[in-house]
Amino acid sequence: MRETFVVMRRELVSYFVSPIAYVFGALMLGVLLYYSTEVTLVQGARASLDGFFQWLPFLLLFFVPALTMRLWAEERKLGTLELLMTFPVTIRQLVLGKFAAAVVYLALLLVLTLGLPITLGAYGKLDWPPVLGSYLASLLFASSFVAVGMFWSSLTRDQIIAMLAAMVSLFVLYQLGNPQNVEYANEWMPAWLVDVVSSISPHRYFVSIARGVLDSSHLVYFLCFCGFFLHANALVLQARRQRG
Amino acid sequence: MLHTNLNLRSSSSAQRGAALAVVVHVVLLLAVLGQTVYLASRHRVRVDLTSEQLWSSSESTRTLLEKLDQRLVVEAYFSPQEKLPVTFRESRKWAESFLDELVQLGKGKVVLQRFDPNADDSVKKRAERVGVKPLQLTNSSTTSLSVDVHWQGLRLVYGGGKQKVLSQFLPSSSFVAEAMLTPAVKELVTVQRRKFGYMEWPVTAVGQQTPGGIGWNVLRSHEGISKRYEFQNLKDEDGALLPDDVDTLFLFRPKDLTDRQKYVLDQFVVRGGTLVAFVDAAEYAIGPQRTFSKIPLQLDATGSKQPFLGQLLHYGIEWKPKLVADMAQRAMSPRDPLQAPYEYFAAPQLDQFGRQRMVPIAYPYFFHPLPVDWKTSASELAKDASGKVDETAAASFRERFVAGMPSDEFLFQSFKNAGRGPGFYWPTWVGLREKAGGKPDLPPDVEGRVHLWSSPAALVEDPPQMVNPFGGARDAIQRNTEYAKFATKLRERMGNEPRLQVPLMVEVKGKFSSVFAGQDRPKRPSEIKEEEAKKAEAAVVDDPNTPEDESKQDGPPAPAKDDKKGKAADKPAVQEPPMRTTGDRPGRIVVVGDADFLRDDIVRGDLAQGGGPVSGSMAAPFFAQMLDWLAEDRDLVALQSRSATDRTLRFVADTGATAADARATEKALRDKTSMLRWSNVLLPTGLLTVLGFVVLIVRRAQKRSFLASLR
Repeated sequence: MRETFVVMRRELVSYFVSPIAYVFGALMLGVLLYYSTEVTLVQGARASLDGFFQWLPFLLLFFVPALTMRLWAEERKLGTLELLMTFPVTIRQLVLGKFAAAVVYLALLLVLTLGLPITLGAYGKLDWPPVLGSYLASLLFASSFVAVGMFWSSLTRDQIIAMLAAMVSLFVLYQLGNPQNVEYANEWMPAWLVDVVSSISPHRYFVSIARGVLDSSHLVYFLCFCGFFLHANALVLQARRQRG
Repeated sequence: MLHTNLNLRSSSSAQRGAALAVVVHVVLLLAVLGQTVYLASRHRVRVDLTSEQLWSSSESTRTLLEKLDQRLVVEAYFSPQEKLPVTFRESRKWAESFLDELVQLGKGKVVLQRFDPNADDSVKKRAERVGVKPLQLTNSSTTSLSVDVHWQGLRLVYGGGKQKVLSQFLPSSSFVAEAMLTPAVKELVTVQRRKFGYMEWPVTAVGQQTPGGIGWNVLRSHEGISKRYEFQNLKDEDGALLPDDVDTLFLFRPKDLTDRQKYVLDQFVVRGGTLVAFVDAAEYAIGPQRTFSKIPLQLDATGSKQPFLGQLLHYGIEWKPKLVADMAQRAMSPRDPLQAPYEYFAAPQLDQFGRQRMVPIAYPYFFHPLPVDWKTSASELAKDASGKVDETAAASFRERFVAGMPSDEFLFQSFKNAGRGPGFYWPTWVGLREKAGGKPDLPPDVEGRVHLWSSPAALVEDPPQMVNPFGGARDAIQRNTEYAKFATKLRERMGNEPRLQVPLMVEVKGKFSSVFAGQDRPKRPSEIKEEEAKKAEAAVVDDPNTPEDESKQDGPPAPAKDDKKGKAADKPAVQEPPMRTTGDRPGRIVVVGDADFLRDDIVRGDLAQGGGPVSGSMAAPFFAQMLDWLAEDRDLVALQSRSATDRTLRFVADTGATAADARATEKALRDKTSMLRWSNVLLPTGLLTVLGFVVLIVRRAQKRSFLASLR
């Protein structure tokens, strides 16, 4: 645990001593807040962050792969991965540490958006518990994307390929939960299969939590989803270390 | 060499083995995780985070299901979900979710039976026979056009006998599913309908072929109401006392009241009845032309000695038959300003493309009470033209002003949540009887309270002859000129008259004494006729010139002048109980200062095309909840109070100020919205950018000093 924390802290420091965290963060927050305030801060509208949380998953689709592409690919390219492997930490601790750092960074970005609900609360009766639930859902959703992005980053040394692969796979995952696609799939796939396939998409669970219902099964889903990709990530690194 | 080959072969097979092991590992892991998620979905814990518990069933549903003493069978006529279009699939999800919850809460008393009418022709016929309606949806592609038939209706059967059909059950959330289903269950479990009496004095129909005028029947006969409550017309021309089994009587716009009718009402409240009156100080013609001109309305019938206003005053209610206007902009803003039908008043205007369209306009005679504590606006309202607060006036306002909906009664809960009361049209002042100084002056053993108030920007006046903001002008320019005059006049009055809040709904309860105590009991018309007949008979007998037997006279017999009179004279006098002068049981009187908002044409939306008013979406729930409130039926209270809380964003505070300068308000709003928006966008991004620059500069400095140290 301590080792994981050390890796996480090292990784976080690396974010904040380089311009990445600031450029990436400012860009993401700028785009997200610019478009979401257009629909949320309207006189006479309902005090709600629905518009914000509708935009967020879509933006994460582009920004998370950009954040995670360098996590392993850069280490491999710079040749620091081998050095990392010599540290007295296990591969799992390395993977978890990097994952936690990325999630903490995204959580910090989400914290910076709290001004919007505070503004809404000041001018209308904002229902805070579902808003906090939506923030939790966003963090879980972002975590699942980070896990996928990290997995792709571990497979290649080219950051662009890692980013594109992550983006495509996340886009597919995102679309699997899209009701229109589900309807289309229903026309040529058995219903049970459509249900299984659509239940893979994190978007479906995100929507459910964001509307204000916290379901234990959704939390289990996110844990399993992240766990699977992080485990696969560790397996890839393990295989690479074994190959030398 | 051979050794090398063997090594290579064993190495590649080891790699293949390792790869296979990884694949098996991943597949097994996926299976385990998939199973975990599946099991978690079967044994889950669900927490509804919303403050109003919008995604959970309410106490109303639970209470009702606990009351079930017989089996409730829910027949769900649902075609397969996977065939439904995506827009309806969400609805199916909510329907299924709520039905499952209903079965669980029913603890064996609720049985769910599913049928697919598309799969079986006999089921389809049965669904049609019981009243379930299919959804016929057109499905078109580049090569074909078809109509798909889907089913999603319910039939509820209680105890094998009573049934209720929801022909299409298409909820948009679990909350809506409950709002549809729970009242239906309530209807089924209602054993005996509560009886209400009513008397109504129809509104003069203008430009319409409505025989007998416009009444208040639409709401009374609304399915959801008539299944639970029975209404009996008790307006008896002969003024019979009300039957004992009626404990609540509604008066819809009373007028031309005779002393006998007033006596009937008096005896009703003295014996402990509940009297609910929807009153108007004036009647204005609406009709297609919307002339808004006054139609004569007289409260007391000619010859009546006991004024109705005095009678109400005796019970502790002061009705000032004045017309009330509320100049607070928020009070006269319709619920949905952009959508027809128009709740208040919309007029045709030309848009920038020269097309005529209806635009809602501010008309202070149509407004609603607001659940605002007006004390908090005292300082704002006490500002003079220069913006300086008059502290004396502010202190006086703080003392006098009250909340717009001060009552905690469950009737008002959903309206408080919605942020507004029902809309009133040309309402009148109905408050408590007061002493000098404004303190209530109620009769002994009577308590009372005002439930609804206007904002402090109310204007009171004797009903004018015409309240048309356009003064009858036909073309747009004239209309604008007339409207400007109308608005200026009201604004001037606002500036000159003191700020006051007007009571709009009042309730008194307690043991009432009779207003007729010490007087002769007003007689029924039949009694008067009987007496007149007797007198006439006596006069004939006493007249010495009258021949003993007219039939013996020559010539044809004189025609009977009034045959009915003769019959009345033959009829034995109806024995009426003696007048009750004091009450032995507590009675209750509720007076609402408007009757228009419940009248048929306004509720039904007959005037929607002409630009309103249409009151249905607020008046119907008010009336329905009022019946529950009067009947003290709290079964559906939790359901009613679940209506969404008003979470409207208001960047520019409503202080009860007038709509004097709409442009200034709009500019202030625009500026504030823009400021809030940009501060929300720029603050976090700017913070990150500044931090980034600081880090960059520090890093550069560190680098420079490091390089300098190397030199």
